[in-house]
Amino acid sequence: MKILVAVKQVATLDEDFEIRANGSDVEEDFLLYDLNEWDDFSLEEAMKIKESSDVEIEVVVVSIGPDRVDESLRKCLAKGADRAIRVWDDAIEGSDAIAIGRILAAVAQKEAPDMVFAGVQSSDQAYASTGISTAAYLDWPHAAVVADLQYKPGSGSAVIRRELEGGMLQEVEINCPAVLTIQLGINKPRYASLRGIKQAAAKPIEEVSLADVGLTGADVGADSSMSRVRRMYIPAKGRAQMIEGTIAEQAARLIQIINEFKGA
Amino acid sequence: MNNPREITRVLFENFQPQAIHLFYAIGYAAIAIFIYGVYVQIRKYRRGKPDGSWGELLHRFIDMVKTMATHRTLVRRDKSAGRAHGLIFLGFVLLFIGTSVITLEYDILQPLFGVQFWYGNFYLLFSLVLDLAGLGLIVGLIYMMYRRKWLNLPKLDYKRVDRQEGDPDFDRSQYRREDWAFLWSFILIGVTGFILEATRLVWLSGRPTVWDYRMWSPVGALLAHVMQAVGLTAEGAGSLRSGLWWFHGLISLTFIAFIPYTKIKHIFTAAASLMFKDPLAGKRLPRIPDEQKTAGYKTITDLTWKNLLHLDACTKCGRCQEACPANAVGAPLSPRDVILSLREFANHALSAKELPKEAELDIHGKDIGQVFMETLWSCRTCLACVEICPVAVEHVPIIVQMRRNLVEAGEMEPLLEKTLQTIHKTGNSFGESKRKRAAWTKELPFEIKDARTEPVDVLWFVGDYASFDPRNQKVTQSFARLLHKAGVNFGLLFESELNAGNDVRRVGEEGLYELLASSNIGTIQACEFNSIVTTDPHSFNTIRNEYPDFGGKFEIEHYTTMVKQLIEGGQIKLKKKLDYRVTFHDPCHLGRYNKGYDAPRDVLKLLGCELVEMGRNRDNSFCCGAGGGRIWIPDPVGTEKPSANRMKEAGVIEGLQVFVVSCPKDLTMFEDALKTSGFEGKFIVRELIELIDECIEYEVWEDIPLTV
Ligand code: SF4
Ligand code: SF4
Repeated sequence: MKILVAVKQVATLDEDFEIRANGSDVEEDFLLYDLNEWDDFSLEEAMKIKESSDVEIEVVVVSIGPDRVDESLRKCLAKGADRAIRVWDDAIEGSDAIAIGRILAAVAQKEAPDMVFAGVQSSDQAYASTGISTAAYLDWPHAAVVADLQYKPGSGSAVIRRELEGGMLQEVEINCPAVLTIQLGINKPRYASLRGIKQAAAKPIEEVSLADVGLTGADVGADSSMSRVRRMYIPAKGRAQMIEGTIAEQAARLIQIINEFKGA
Repeated sequence: MNNPREITRVLFENFQPQAIHLFYAIGYAAIAIFIYGVYVQIRKYRRGKPDGSWGELLHRFIDMVKTMATHRTLVRRDKSAGRAHGLIFLGFVLLFIGTSVITLEYDILQPLFGVQFWYGNFYLLFSLVLDLAGLGLIVGLIYMMYRRKWLNLPKLDYKRVDRQEGDPDFDRSQYRREDWAFLWSFILIGVTGFILEATRLVWLSGRPTVWDYRMWSPVGALLAHVMQAVGLTAEGAGSLRSGLWWFHGLISLTFIAFIPYTKIKHIFTAAASLMFKDPLAGKRLPRIPDEQKTAGYKTITDLTWKNLLHLDACTKCGRCQEACPANAVGAPLSPRDVILSLREFANHALSAKELPKEAELDIHGKDIGQVFMETLWSCRTCLACVEICPVAVEHVPIIVQMRRNLVEAGEMEPLLEKTLQTIHKTGNSFGESKRKRAAWTKELPFEIKDARTEPVDVLWFVGDYASFDPRNQKVTQSFARLLHKAGVNFGLLFESELNAGNDVRRVGEEGLYELLASSNIGTIQACEFNSIVTTDPHSFNTIRNEYPDFGGKFEIEHYTTMVKQLIEGGQIKLKKKLDYRVTFHDPCHLGRYNKGYDAPRDVLKLLGCELVEMGRNRDNSFCCGAGGGRIWIPDPVGTEKPSANRMKEAGVIEGLQVFVVSCPKDLTMFEDALKTSGFEGKFIVRELIELIDECIEYEVWEDIPLTV
């Protein structure tokens, strides 16, 4: 039994960041990296299944990214994942979510898991399509925004609840193996203590190349993607100001502003 | 004149040889039971982990003897009980020495070498001293009985604060029964001893070598006269004596046999505990050995032998519980209960011949002897318990070790978990960008040196609260101006400074602490400077006491010490005096942790303030509630916060104008408490730096006036 959990190291913005000169992204210096919040939940879901099962279950985390991603993978190992795989090749740079899905599908084919979990979306890019495109490449059933999962390891199907608009839930029975994208709040992710993370450094992270999973540089990257980022920018700010003072003063100032607008 | 040789007490006078043999047999049996008990105790301690406290044994021993002889730790905050205990202690020690002297002569020196000395003047003096010792013992015991029965001291109520009425070990009445059994049997030994002495006098009233010298045992003589007055004859006294002799002898021997099995063992455990006292307990928490896989205490066998010994030393006096701020506001924590729970657990699990299975040794949980998670998280690591314990029980290291295990298992408040993750990610508890750490300097009219790039005299370690909290930034700016004005050559670490880790460590996130500490140490070591200063007592403590364990030995001062010198040395001129009526709150990490009681008070005096102390001051200062990571854990709604409790204490000071603190976290906690506890408008909370600021005239720029 095996569960493959696809995770991503996401970037968060530091205060007062700057955009790269070519406008493609935020300047690297202003990015802080951490594991995508959704992935904490999908890993936890896998760990819960592992820990409550009588049969041996291997939880494998996979991520696509450069060296720095090892730090996030180590956090997953500290939380109890059995193995970690990191796929990287410079050609992958510029891939969109669909191209990433192609790589993940290739890894899944090689690993042959019984379930693939991914987060609903990543907090930095928010395409919410990596998991789904993986399913498409695998030609497996999939379900998005899973808020509850009942799955007996080894069984041919699972019952899931999907979160819909307006607080509605949809209960679905899905054939396995399947790809599920996991929603926040499905469980309570465990804490990875720093000692745990340090000790996880002893567990190896498999570095996998494109060739190892049967792909070439031509299958990935900006050129093989269906979308490209043209530019990133901060929209011009609307004008807002706080009016201070006593109520009377505030009212007077408000009238003044309205008059200025009318006059303009 | 009588022959001095005859002035003595004939041992076993008029005893049949069989009776003497019987007595010896019982005596040996008592000693055997005693030795077996001691063996079981030692076997228990040996089941704990090793501890490196064996150094400087002689020094430790001398310290212990001094503490015991002066009863220094016992009279603190409870004079009468301490003195009464002193009487009992002295009485017991003298009577024990007396009995040993007799044994030495009768059983060893005389039969082997024919040496005798227990007669004549020595004998008379000996009688007098022992008589008075016995009297002291009884007086002490009577006071203790009175205290237990009539004083209704809350600290002598053993009811647990962390359990409910009806829980199996809620009222701990077993302990009360044991206390009384101890008092009664002890006093009985003393009283029968005197009666025995008196009956002997009456019985031998015809023998001048006895009767003429009766006043050397005044208590016995007095009783003897009373006995004669009520008509006791020499013969009657003789027969009364033999019965009484056996009674007295048997309870004394039983008492000895029982020592290792009952609270009486504190005679030994408390002494040993004092001897192995760690002067840095709680101030410098233990490192986790590199090769150790797990963190903290999960099972009772994770405790060191020294921890186990401390558990046995506790005499249930309740001083720690009385001092505990968590307990004072109704949190489910009493440091005494933590110790007693673990003691009961250890006695149950580690006294058997075979060690129980691993699963039965888990000290976390809800069963008898286990410690609740809520209990452990209630602790503010203020050290009030460790500081007051008369027998040197070290609660805080045990509590933190247990928390380490909870952190490892992720059993903590979600908010705390978030904060720890934030600190890991950003290096500060505010979740702010590293770049913003020195943002407060921007408003200053002068540049502050970057200690990473140029040598400075003083390296200022600012700390999270002083760097990021908007209210504290004002104080931080004032301190910068003060240093600048005094001409101090100082610099900062800017964005390279990380949270010092003091509270992270006390939460129990040791891995994160190691990361923070080693990063800071690396940064500091790369700078050229003479000494470090900080306004943050928490950073102060960990840099001073804990960084050395990680290779960072630095000279560090709290700002109060430095400012005092600057004022006294004339580098800072005070242009005016303040006439405020103030009170001062000792921050735990400056006061109890590092004995920095005087510098802030001296500075207040130099400023001209009238200092009125709160009831709980200096070593008995009452924690604001922020320590041990509790600043990141919300207090349960509906309960009083320690800071509010403190405000009430300050509120009773007539005409109080300023509540002075010297810690950034205190400023935050108490300004908040001032509002919520209804003292707003009555007095204000100020950081000491702000008062100093008022007295300095800055020519160059306008200052925001801070007036009362
Ligand atoms: S350190 Fe303070 S809060 Fe913790 S148990 Fe001791 S007295 Fe109570
Ligand atoms: S731990 Fe110390 S202070 Fe607390 S009850 Fe025991 S002996 Fe007293």
